[in-house]
Amino acid sequence: MAVEVKLEGLSAWFGSNQVLDDISFTVPAQSVTAIIGPSGSGKSTLIRLVNRMHEILPRTRHEGHVFLGGEDVYGDDVDPVDVRRRVGMVFQRPNPFPTMSIYDNVAAGLKLNGVRGKRSGMDGLVEESLKAAGLWGEVRNRLKAPAGGLSGGQQQRLCIARAIAVRPEVLLMDEPASALDPQSTLRIEDLMAELKQRYTIVIVTHNMQQAARIADWTAFMTVTEEGAPGRLIEFDQTNTIFTHPKDDRTQAYVTGRFG
Amino acid sequence: MRLTFQQELQQLEASLQEESCLVLRALRGCLNALEQHDVELADEVVVFDDEIDAAYLSIEEGIQSLLARQTPVAIDLRLVLAILHDNLHLERMADYCVTIAKLTKLVHEVTPDETLIAGFDEMGARAEEMIRVAMQSFADRNVESAETLVELDELIDNANRRVVQHILSLGSDPNLREWGLRMILVSRCLERIGDHAVDIGEQSAYLVTGEFREFTDASH
Repeated sequence: MAVEVKLEGLSAWFGSNQVLDDISFTVPAQSVTAIIGPSGSGKSTLIRLVNRMHEILPRTRHEGHVFLGGEDVYGDDVDPVDVRRRVGMVFQRPNPFPTMSIYDNVAAGLKLNGVRGKRSGMDGLVEESLKAAGLWGEVRNRLKAPAGGLSGGQQQRLCIARAIAVRPEVLLMDEPASALDPQSTLRIEDLMAELKQRYTIVIVTHNMQQAARIADWTAFMTVTEEGAPGRLIEFDQTNTIFTHPKDDRTQAYVTGRFG
Repeated sequence: MRLTFQQELQQLEASLQEESCLVLRALRGCLNALEQHDVELADEVVVFDDEIDAAYLSIEEGIQSLLARQTPVAIDLRLVLAILHDNLHLERMADYCVTIAKLTKLVHEVTPDETLIAGFDEMGARAEEMIRVAMQSFADRNVESAETLVELDELIDNANRRVVQHILSLGSDPNLREWGLRMILVSRCLERIGDHAVDIGEQSAYLVTGEFREFTDASH
C-alpha cells in the first residue's frame, strides 16, 4: 500500500559539516517525485534520511521528521529495520549478489525480512516480483543461473525485483539508470510508470530530461553559496518546474545557465 | 552554460525581428501600390513574398532543430514556442499584403476615391505602428507595452468600420460595385494584420509570465 512521504524540517550533518538545511515537502502517494540539483546539494543524503540509512554512517546526525503515511520514522518506538522494509532502495550501480542465482537474489530480500516456509510460497513471491520488475520473461528459464551473467539493465531490474519483493510502501531510487545504456534506461523509466500505481517513488537524478519524462513532481535543491548546506529551492509539479518555474535559481539550473 | 544553444536561440530571435522588417516593407509596398495605382509595385510585393516565406521556413527549420537537439525548457522553451507562433503571425501578415497587392491589380483602372485612400492610409499607418510595437515589446519582454496593442487594434477596427461605411454609401453604381467589394477586402486585410499584431503581443506576455491569456475575448 503506497503512502505519502512527508518531510518536515530535515537537516543533516556529517560530523560538524551541515549538508542539509530545513527541508520540508510532501511526496504524494502513488506518484514519482524527482529530486534534481547539482552535485553536493544533498539529494542522496535526503533520500537516505527517508529510510534511516543516513544514521548508519559514523558521526552523522539529523534534525526534523519523516512521516510515512502519518507515522514518524524517527519515532521512539520505531525499528529502523522495519522502516527499511517499508522503504525499499535501488542504487546507482546494480548491486546483485553476482554469484548467487537470480532466484536467490530476489528471495534473499524476503529471507532477510523473515519470510520462511514452503518453497512454493517463495516461488510465487519471486515470480511476482520479477514480473513486476519487467524481468520475468527474460529470466524465467534460467532462474538458477548466477545473477552476474545478466546485463547491466537486467541486473538493475533484478535489484528492483529484490526491493519490491518485500512489498515496500515507498521506493527510493538513487540515480538508478545513470550506469545504463539508453535502451535499458527507457525500460527502467517505463517500469517506474507502472510501479507508481502501487508504490510511492522518489528518484534522485542528474538527468533533467529523465526527471521531465517520468516525474509527476520535482524538487530542486542546491547550495546557495560554497560550503553552505543543501536547501530546497522549489518543489512543484514537474510540468511547472520545466515550463515556468517560480524561482530564478530553478530556471537557471533547468535551462543549463547554472555555473 | 549551454553557449551554443543560447547563441542559436538568440540567432532565431534576431531572424524573427528581421522577418518583421521584411513584413513592414511588404506592407508599405502594397499600400503605396494601392494609393498610386502602381501595378508594377504590386507585382514586386507579390514576388517579395517569396523572400518572407524563405525567412519563415528558415525560422521553422531552426526551431525544429533546436527542439530535436536541445530540448529547451522553462524560459527557453517559452521563447522557442513564442517565436514559433510569432513566425506564423508574421507570415500571415505578409500573405495579407500579397492579397492587397493582388486586389490592387484587379482594380487599377478605377480612379481611387480620395476619402477611401485617406482611410487606407490611416489603417496602413496604424498597422505598421502595431507591428513595430508588437516586435519591440517582444524584444523588450515588455508586457505593459504589448497590452497597448489592444487599444491600437480598436483604432484600426474603427477605421475599418468607417471605410466599409463609406464604400456602402457610394451607392449601387454597378461599375463601382466590384471595386467596392474588393476595397472592403483590402480593409479587412489591414484589420487582420492588426489582429495578428495583437496575437504577437499575447505571445510576449506568455513569454514573460508563462501563462497564456488572450488580451481580449474575441468570442463576443
